[in-house]
Amino acid sequence: MTMICSGCESELASHLVCESCGALQVCEESPTPFASMGLEPSQAMDSGALKKRLVKLSRAMHPDFFGNSDAATQQLAIDNTAELNAAFEILASDMARADWLVRSLGGPDENSERQMPQSFLIEVMEWNELLEEARDSGSGSPEYESAQKLGVTLQAERAAIMQGIDAALTPLPEAGSPTLTDVRKQMNAVRYVDRALEQLAELAVQANH
Amino acid sequence: MAYSDKVLDHYNKPRNVGSLDKASANVGTGIVGAPECGDVMKLQIEIEGDRIVDAKFKTFGCGSAIASSSLATEWVKGKTLDEALSINNTEIVEELSLPPVKIHCSVLAEDAIKAAIADVKNKRDSEKG
Repeated sequence: MTMICSGCESELASHLVCESCGALQVCEESPTPFASMGLEPSQAMDSGALKKRLVKLSRAMHPDFFGNSDAATQQLAIDNTAELNAAFEILASDMARADWLVRSLGGPDENSERQMPQSFLIEVMEWNELLEEARDSGSGSPEYESAQKLGVTLQAERAAIMQGIDAALTPLPEAGSPTLTDVRKQMNAVRYVDRALEQLAELAVQANH
Repeated sequence: MAYSDKVLDHYNKPRNVGSLDKASANVGTGIVGAPECGDVMKLQIEIEGDRIVDAKFKTFGCGSAIASSSLATEWVKGKTLDEALSINNTEIVEELSLPPVKIHCSVLAEDAIKAAIADVKNKRDSEKG
């Protein structure tokens, strides 16, 4: 969907601001996160390039630069900056990006495909047992060392599952494709991994106190 | 959000924590999880004939998840498999006064009971061959 600047009529990349003439754009509906950032929908994302886009667009629409404008324009700068930041939050996270793409293609939401294989749940049980032992034994203990090793394993496991998700979403499947169901299952597995990684991080914080 | 007294009671004094011999023909094991919070719950039952004579659980999760599974083990003990199958998550919600955001914990406990029963039935059927 091509959008035209309401000021200079050049083609817009970001739907929030014209990068040719600098005019803030009035959006009747929230643009998609990709449209806010001026990117094609894609699971693959260069995080460095994304940050550069954020900085460039932030400069173009930052409310501080519209201090002398009329009230409506000032408000537009605030609203569009908020849109931009929300878009960045989604696009910067591999999971949030995949979630958005799966939803936008009509795939199952995060409350679907919850049933995990027993073997996987047994694994999750074992992570938690290890975490509990590490928590009880404290830093320096062999249990704590094992938990650290678990962290490395989980990072690798996460990367492997994410790679599968990225591959399944590249190129983007057709709307309603069964691939989206598989992706959602994999994403639910990642949520367990992320929760365990979070707990490992909490463990490390406690150990340093 | 405050936990109800019953949740706190189960959380502080969980009943039937532990494990049963997974390999035993009379033991059924159900492991279920909730991806939104990473909670995971293992519930095991031991049967004699058609009656549940023992139940153990191990849950990693929030207070409500622990209380739900603790209560579930208490409730299934002494029941027949069919009676235990009829335990509904809403009964757990009512007993523990779980708030709406914690309803999934009771669903988890119900699923764990059902999974444990399915497992032991499965074992029994395959023994009969």
